[in-house]
Amino acid sequence: MRLLLALTLLQSAVRSNLQYAALSTLRRLPLDPGNPAFLHRAVQGIACADPVGVRHALAIVSELATREPYAVAMAVDKIALSGGTLQEVLQLHDVLARVYLARLCFILSRARVLDERPDIRSQYQTILYQLLLDPSERVCFEAIMCILGKFDSNERLEERAGGWVMLTTAILKFPDAPAPVSNSSQQAKDGAGVPSKAAKERPASRPRRPQALFKLVMRRLESAFRSPIRPVLHAAARVVQEMGKSRAAAYSLRGYAVDEDSHPDTLVDNASSDLANSELEQTDAEVPRNKVAPLSSASGGKESIHSMLSSLKEAVRTTVACECVYVRGAAIKALIWMQSPHESFDELKAIIAGELSDPSWPASLLNEILLTLHARFKATPDMAVILLELATLFATKVPGKIDSDVLQLLWKTCLLGCGPSGKHTALEAVTVVLDLPPPQPASMSTYHSNKRVMAADPKSALALQKLVQAAVWFLGENANYAASEYAWESVTPPGTALMMLDVDKMVAAASSRNPTLAGALTRLQRCAFGGSWEVRVVAAQALITIAIRSGEPYRMQVYEFLQALAQGASRHSSLEMATNGEDQGASGTGLSSILSPMIRLLDDVYKAQDELIRDMRNHDNKKQEWSDDELRKLYETHERLLDLVSLFCYVPRAKYLPLGPTSSTLINIYRNRHRIDASSGFNDPAVATGISDLLNSQLQYPPPMIEKDEPLVAGLSDGLWTGSTPAVDMVNEFLVGAGTDAPDVEEENALPRTSISYDDMWAKQLLEASENEDVELQSSGSSSPESVASYSTTTSSHFGGLGYPSLFGGSSTTNYSPWEKQLSSQPTGRVSNISMDLSSDQPPDYMGASRMGAQRQSDTFMGHSDSFDNLPDDMMGRVDDDYQPQETPQFGKALYDFTAGGDEELNLTAGEELEIEYEVDGWFHVRKRKPGRDGKISGLVPVLYVTS
Amino acid sequence: MLMCVLFTNTAGNILLERFQGVQAEERLHWRSFLVKLGTDNLSGAHNEELFVASHKSVYVVYTAIGDISVFVVGKDEYDELALAEVLYAITSCVKDICQKAPTERAFLDKYGRVCLCLDEIVFEGTLEHTDKDRIRRLARLKPIAD
Repeated sequence: MRLLLALTLLQSAVRSNLQYAALSTLRRLPLDPGNPAFLHRAVQGIACADPVGVRHALAIVSELATREPYAVAMAVDKIALSGGTLQEVLQLHDVLARVYLARLCFILSRARVLDERPDIRSQYQTILYQLLLDPSERVCFEAIMCILGKFDSNERLEERAGGWVMLTTAILKFPDAPAPVSNSSQQAKDGAGVPSKAAKERPASRPRRPQALFKLVMRRLESAFRSPIRPVLHAAARVVQEMGKSRAAAYSLRGYAVDEDSHPDTLVDNASSDLANSELEQTDAEVPRNKVAPLSSASGGKESIHSMLSSLKEAVRTTVACECVYVRGAAIKALIWMQSPHESFDELKAIIAGELSDPSWPASLLNEILLTLHARFKATPDMAVILLELATLFATKVPGKIDSDVLQLLWKTCLLGCGPSGKHTALEAVTVVLDLPPPQPASMSTYHSNKRVMAADPKSALALQKLVQAAVWFLGENANYAASEYAWESVTPPGTALMMLDVDKMVAAASSRNPTLAGALTRLQRCAFGGSWEVRVVAAQALITIAIRSGEPYRMQVYEFLQALAQGASRHSSLEMATNGEDQGASGTGLSSILSPMIRLLDDVYKAQDELIRDMRNHDNKKQEWSDDELRKLYETHERLLDLVSLFCYVPRAKYLPLGPTSSTLINIYRNRHRIDASSGFNDPAVATGISDLLNSQLQYPPPMIEKDEPLVAGLSDGLWTGSTPAVDMVNEFLVGAGTDAPDVEEENALPRTSISYDDMWAKQLLEASENEDVELQSSGSSSPESVASYSTTTSSHFGGLGYPSLFGGSSTTNYSPWEKQLSSQPTGRVSNISMDLSSDQPPDYMGASRMGAQRQSDTFMGHSDSFDNLPDDMMGRVDDDYQPQETPQFGKALYDFTAGGDEELNLTAGEELEIEYEVDGWFHVRKRKPGRDGKISGLVPVLYVTS
Repeated sequence: MLMCVLFTNTAGNILLERFQGVQAEERLHWRSFLVKLGTDNLSGAHNEELFVASHKSVYVVYTAIGDISVFVVGKDEYDELALAEVLYAITSCVKDICQKAPTERAFLDKYGRVCLCLDEIVFEGTLEHTDKDRIRRLARLKPIAD
């Protein structure tokens, strides 16, 4: 007898070992959906005696359930559910097994394919609810998350909203006697006993009273927040965060509103233990996504959902006192999510402000919180103002730690999403950043609050500067959207604006008409004067963007300002040119090279407007119709200005009228007569990317004036206007780059760009090109000034490629010294070029040409010399001329021995004959007659070691 | 997915590590991140006091026993609470092997057994066994039950 018993035990042990091994192996196999044998074995495993085996089985089944819920539901129903095996898992002491059980139950209780089998679904649902009572927090929290609809990373709003409804309305009713009975019978059938304590603890001797799910969850969470264990606190805060997300989803989707008038205060939970009532609700809760909240009818509950939530929030708030920053971070995120738009947020603000003064916060965590703000805003756009104020706290308190990209994302979303009333606030939040102390010691004295930070941490000073740059750029790009002021929607005829040239009047008119835009302009003007050079540059570009996009009197205001700025700078222009436009400190703004093309553009626009008005008057006086030639001329001017404007920023070409609103009728006449359709032009991919415009228009432009003493710039511009491909590429780089960051305008102007794929192709190509540039810039070595190098990389990545390289490339690199030598040998040529630009009387084409010439030039500096192959012959001739210094090489002799200190350098033996290729910062790049002992033939040597 | 189990001494030198599903270049980041967490927070911590950290959706739970710090990193179903379970299994196993709160020397003496047990606890990025008895048997290549 004893032997028999031992044998049975051994058999069961062997079986259990084998079962475990089989399930463990099955788990490692790739999932095989659609294979009934695979599913069958996995489901069988749920009844396995080994707890780890059960865990594996449930993991497989829950994963399969996401793919084929119906088959899994049926299989589990046949084997496990009806037999009560799943109920047994509830008592299994393997935590992860119960976690997988929760997932399985959640998937099956929500599966659409089981709509006609509500009985099965409710069974799974009951098990899921029971898991809320699990002693392990891990399991309980998993069940809460599942109920809330947070299952995987795909966030579906309806599911979330449905989750909130379910959590607040559902009632947990414990299964009646049958479950334990079948439980034990199943156990008997199985033979292999499921671990011990299973059935004993759950005798169901007295029926437990049904409970409101919400109350259970709240109680559980509050007790978790009292726990001293950090992981529990962190997890609880995360659950609250998810709860807030689901709640926000429920608010945003009206159909799911738990409370009819969407005020949490009025929602009263009747979670009392009224049996009859709850049974009535139970039937409702079993129907998924019950959109009507039955509890509202039944009043008289002890605690409202609102009061329970506020006590939970109190518990979360106390958690912020935890010394672990990560727990605090999770708690703050939870508070942000639980914050409802109608409540006072002073407390949250105070908490965050207090937390931010703690230096122990890592930057990544702060950025995560900012992203939480972003997500919160997306869920509830009403909260834009609150969230922007919170974001401002971050920007002011820890400017060095937050990523300007993240902040910009937040600003942008808030600006786009907060509706017309909130736009001003959104822009204000951006301008607050500009009020931060600039990282210059001189102007710091007025601001005391952040002085300590600035002085303490140069890194944060740099970060702050980046932040200010980002803010300035954002302001320029979005001020028009925020102020709803567009040139193409402006009603002021240009003549009116020109008549009130008095600056004071103009500013008064501007600020009375549109305080938002006027405010933004004032800020930008201040930035263009103060701050670091980088900020001034971005400010100038922001100003021109606003000038182009807004109507009068703003454009005039900017024009006046730019003129003043340029004239102020022109006094020092020779000084600046000698140093390639680098900032010379307080003496000049260092912006003249950037300002001149902008001013020329505005000059052109105003001149053309003047001419138009004059012509119109003439025609009116003589009562003469416009001839076709005149119209053509007007149209050409219009198109040319449009092209030029597009170089600076994105404007909707179909609507934009550089000649003012009065020109529209005449241009329309010409268009109609010649069947030029402004909008249909965009269907042509070439037109959409702006190529055909430039290619066609080359015939219409008069040849640019070329001065003999500027072979470099003029030659390049010559190549450009003849329509050589690379030049057009670069122009399009401007166009594409400027267009990508103006979504607001694109939204307003619903003109479809049909050739998306073509655009994408171009954009990709151009992006790749700019990336290469970046790489080259970065690798161009230590000799290039760091500010410029980093600037180029940030601008091209962050600021949508507004064409900075064209304006600064010349000063950035020293690798291409033949060019530089050529430049430095003719500094007067460039100065005269710029100063001529300033003297506003040149034909307009020249401006564009010289600007693009500059672009061209900078690109060759950046290592795009390969594109010379594509230039026309006459162009190549010029380039060869420019290379002259290289063709008549300089020879020298090594005076002393020199040992190379790096890869770039070259070993020298005294007396060696050398060919000097060019000079860089006190080094000659030389070439030997024959390779040295180390095999190197060319490299850098100190100037003093060589006679030249 | 259990991404990493890492043991360091008090000085922050790595004694034992198991990575799963982490690229080689990311491992460097993780190592330095974890070691920094340890040096910042674990000085003066009680034995087996649990600490938590997170980075995006990845969770870190760590603790100190004796001279040894243990870090566990996971994501998805291995959230901070599941990681606490894993950590509990690991620390109880290490204590068992080293007989008490381990010194660095004791840990290194029993290094091989710690490795064997760790491999039974964490297998290919998933938690496998948590029961001490089972782990001991499996480390000795005995069947789980007989």
